[in-house]
Amino acid sequence: MLTTAPHLYLRRPSPTTAEFTVTTCPPLTVPLRICLLTISLLRVAIFTAATTTIYSRFFHDPSLPPSSPTPISITDLLYQGDILILLSHLLQTLHSSPPGQFLANITAPLSNSALALIASVITYFGLFTQLHTTESLLVLRGLGIQTSTSSSSFSSPVPNTSDGSNRWRGWKWWFWGTTPTKTRFIPTEKIRDVLINEAFRGFEVRYYLIVIVEGEEDVVVVFPKLLPGRRIVEEVWRGVRGCLYEGDPNHQSLGGSWGQTGPLGRKDS
Amino acid sequence: MHPFSVLTLGIFVAGYITARWDLVTRLYELAIFAWDYGVVSRAAKGFAALSLVFLLIFIPVERLAARESTLHPRAPGSENDGLMRIFWPADLPRSDLRGVVVGWRNSALDVFVLAILEEVEPRNVDSALKLGTLTRNAPHPVSRIYELCGQSSLHILGLSNTSEDVHIDPSWIRATIGPSQQVPIITCARASNIQIILFERPLPGRMQYISLNPIALALGDKHDTFRILDSAEQDDEREERLKKEKKKKLVEKLKQHSIFKRTPSAKEKALPKIVNQINWAWELEKLMQKNVSRIGTRPKRSLSVSERVVESATTMRDIVLVWLWNLMTVYVLPVIKKLFVMGLMAHRLAAEVLLTVLEWRARPKYAALKDISATAQQVEIRLQQFCYWPMQYVTLRLRKNDWESVTTSHPDYIRFYNSLWLVANDVIIGIALGSYIIDNSSWLADEISHLLTQYTVEALQSSISWLMGWPAGLKLNSELALFLGDLFLWVIEYWSSCIETLRPVLPHMIWFIGFSSFAGASMPIALFSDLTSILTIHIYSFYLASARIYHWQLNILISLFHLFRGKKHNVLRNRIDSCDYDLDQLLVGTILFTLLFFLLPTVVVFYLNFAIARMVIISLKAVFDTMLSFLNHFPLFALMLRIKDPGRLPGGIRFELRDTQDFRHAVNDTTKPIPSTSVIHLKSIPLSFKAMFHQYFQMGHRIRKHYLSPRVLLCLLTGKFVPPLDRRNLYSLQYSMLPARRAGIMEMWNAVNSLPSPKRRTAPLYIPALANGRRYPGNYGGGRSRNYG
Repeated sequence: MLTTAPHLYLRRPSPTTAEFTVTTCPPLTVPLRICLLTISLLRVAIFTAATTTIYSRFFHDPSLPPSSPTPISITDLLYQGDILILLSHLLQTLHSSPPGQFLANITAPLSNSALALIASVITYFGLFTQLHTTESLLVLRGLGIQTSTSSSSFSSPVPNTSDGSNRWRGWKWWFWGTTPTKTRFIPTEKIRDVLINEAFRGFEVRYYLIVIVEGEEDVVVVFPKLLPGRRIVEEVWRGVRGCLYEGDPNHQSLGGSWGQTGPLGRKDS
Repeated sequence: MHPFSVLTLGIFVAGYITARWDLVTRLYELAIFAWDYGVVSRAAKGFAALSLVFLLIFIPVERLAARESTLHPRAPGSENDGLMRIFWPADLPRSDLRGVVVGWRNSALDVFVLAILEEVEPRNVDSALKLGTLTRNAPHPVSRIYELCGQSSLHILGLSNTSEDVHIDPSWIRATIGPSQQVPIITCARASNIQIILFERPLPGRMQYISLNPIALALGDKHDTFRILDSAEQDDEREERLKKEKKKKLVEKLKQHSIFKRTPSAKEKALPKIVNQINWAWELEKLMQKNVSRIGTRPKRSLSVSERVVESATTMRDIVLVWLWNLMTVYVLPVIKKLFVMGLMAHRLAAEVLLTVLEWRARPKYAALKDISATAQQVEIRLQQFCYWPMQYVTLRLRKNDWESVTTSHPDYIRFYNSLWLVANDVIIGIALGSYIIDNSSWLADEISHLLTQYTVEALQSSISWLMGWPAGLKLNSELALFLGDLFLWVIEYWSSCIETLRPVLPHMIWFIGFSSFAGASMPIALFSDLTSILTIHIYSFYLASARIYHWQLNILISLFHLFRGKKHNVLRNRIDSCDYDLDQLLVGTILFTLLFFLLPTVVVFYLNFAIARMVIISLKAVFDTMLSFLNHFPLFALMLRIKDPGRLPGGIRFELRDTQDFRHAVNDTTKPIPSTSVIHLKSIPLSFKAMFHQYFQMGHRIRKHYLSPRVLLCLLTGKFVPPLDRRNLYSLQYSMLPARRAGIMEMWNAVNSLPSPKRRTAPLYIPALANGRRYPGNYGGGRSRNYG
């Protein structure tokens, strides 16, 4: 339910510019949003639990009084601006709370090294497991094409179909500091050709889009992680040819309307 | 015409006719003759027929073609597909005022906006551009701008915030901007669709810039040349090369799939030029806004009394300061400078002598001193850096004489300060380390001699005596084991007596090492590395000897095995032939084979013992080398820059397609048709950390390939000598910061003396500011307004 087979979105504000996005994220409906929010909360919970466990095992000093006689409010600590004291205070509160005690009791039989290992593995997977993968290809006539790959673990990478706003980007930047999207821009001058290639993988044939770059050893594979099916690839190929090179009236009429955004691809078989 | 000249002409004609009367009569007869034979009527008929054809065929065809071409605007050269590309600085100040958009016109529908000059007439701007008024008072030659931006002149690109009824040139754009508007709305009579590419201007004063290719932190791969000159190209490298060639062939084949090659249009070829223009955008806009007050004639305003008082006070202070400054520059600075240059040259001479010693090879193929010893190599690197610094410094000083937007020397800047910083770091760590070593030299010497006796003498002795007495239940040949063990023990005995004689000198050596570390922490590390190889030379020789014995025995066994099977190795053809041996040959061979086979395990255990010891020493030296390479080559400055200001380390560009919804809503209230527009953001990608440490990855890859390959395992198993990795290969990393050929002494002398002397300051002349146009407040250049996304 959380992910679908890769499907294609097209944004084409003008006939000479198009962005093809292939994503595994289904259209954002209200239940899905709630689900994603729950998952995010769950991640936070897992992270907190793991941190608390590690704290109470390794850093908690039982000789300290369990809580200071006058409980310091968190806002006071925030105003003081000492992050370390704030953190230790928070962790101590968590440790002395019933769930913290429960966690400590559960993990008591584990040895130190096993606990550290398990907690770090759980934290890693909890924080960094990727729900959706989004890959896109931006075609700008006269400039070139740009491939980008991003895996998001926190929020939906696809602009909403109704308003197409880019709010999620700000969200993500806040989290990462910088965009985790990997991009590669190829100027038109360097593009020798854009082809659909086929490869044998196990007992199946995969079709994938490649860009042959002038003066480079390797070809550039478009959508390298998702490798969508042949229909999507063909659609993108036609779109790229029509958008990048002028003089193909069939394709010029394709993106006449403004800001066209919507699912075009079908299920990848 | 003048009546007199008419009269002259008339007299001339009349005279000519009288003089040549026979010619005139001939012409008259000819005309009569033509009339008689109907020449005139025939000519008239031909003319009529041709006009008819023209009217009926050519004019309709021309009309049709014109209509078609307006219906489907397309032409070779792809300039007329109606796509207009506009590069627009996102951080351009926005206001509601009327303005003239000025910038570069790269081709008819490809424009680059530099500035909006507000409240001026386009006519005046045009004449100002032609006269060069807008680039007046430039600190550096203006021709350099045109040369680097690839255009011969600035153009008026259009008008901003004008009303619809103002008639403008069809190639001009009409932009609507406002303080609250994120993206300008642009229309152009010729364009049917528009790409607006917004970009943040990099600040040249902070050395930010963008580039299509990642910035090169290392100097170009010039050192590859002398590696190829090595006659013994190594196997793995050859393999790699072959693989590469194969891949190249495959890609060539792939390229044959594309049927025809497009010729890139002017718009597509303009990208490198546009990158330069983006880098120049900030500085050029500043220059133009400074000069905008010179456009047209404006009323002037005189200074008020209080302003005059302030002005005269500041002038007085300035005069005193300038006098002091001149005193400094004329009398004190030149002396200091001369002395410094003299000292520099003396050092350079000494460095040259030392470098010649370090690089001297008895024969071209022999190893030089720097190839053998880590210390020599370290000294060489430092000397080379010392030779290179003045040259780098001169290059960087010359940068000041050019526009700030010239980005070619920025990698040089990073390299220079990186190496300076690394050396400073090295010295600081070295001082700490050196004082520690000197303070504890006796304790360290004790410790080292203890370690030496424990590991290189006693551990070896005990392991050999263990091997002599049937180790781990293996029943070795006790006679051979005794012989070999006694042999090695005897040599170790001798070596330990050598170390004993060395012991009293050891504290002095440690003290020396500690003292040397004031030249940087890399020095003691290199010295320790060399000391390790000298003090474990006996292990090296044991390893060589046992490996040789083992290898011979293995070879003999193999050839005797062939004899046992009735075959032999044909050396001439390099293959196994069958051979008829006599009975006695076979008998002796078989007996020898059996003997040697049973003796093999004894030799193997001795060989393995020393091989393991050798491997341990090699890995110890690898650790030292890694430490050295970190101290000498860590991209510290680049890392700091990456954190502080990623704009200074460009790693390419990327585009982001912006949504045009809000933009569209803004337009919808006006009813005029807007061409379909896409808004694209151009951003610079900072250099990735992986690219920064690229050299380290390369070195790690090389080391892994050399030591963890099946070839090495095979060498170890067959007792062949495992060649250590060539130091030159290992240190290609460190040399990538230095040029392949160092500058000569004379070159350096010339370079140092070619530096321009500091400008003699004159008392500031007060130029009254023209208080007209739109005045920009003083902090205009300081704060950037980054209001877009």
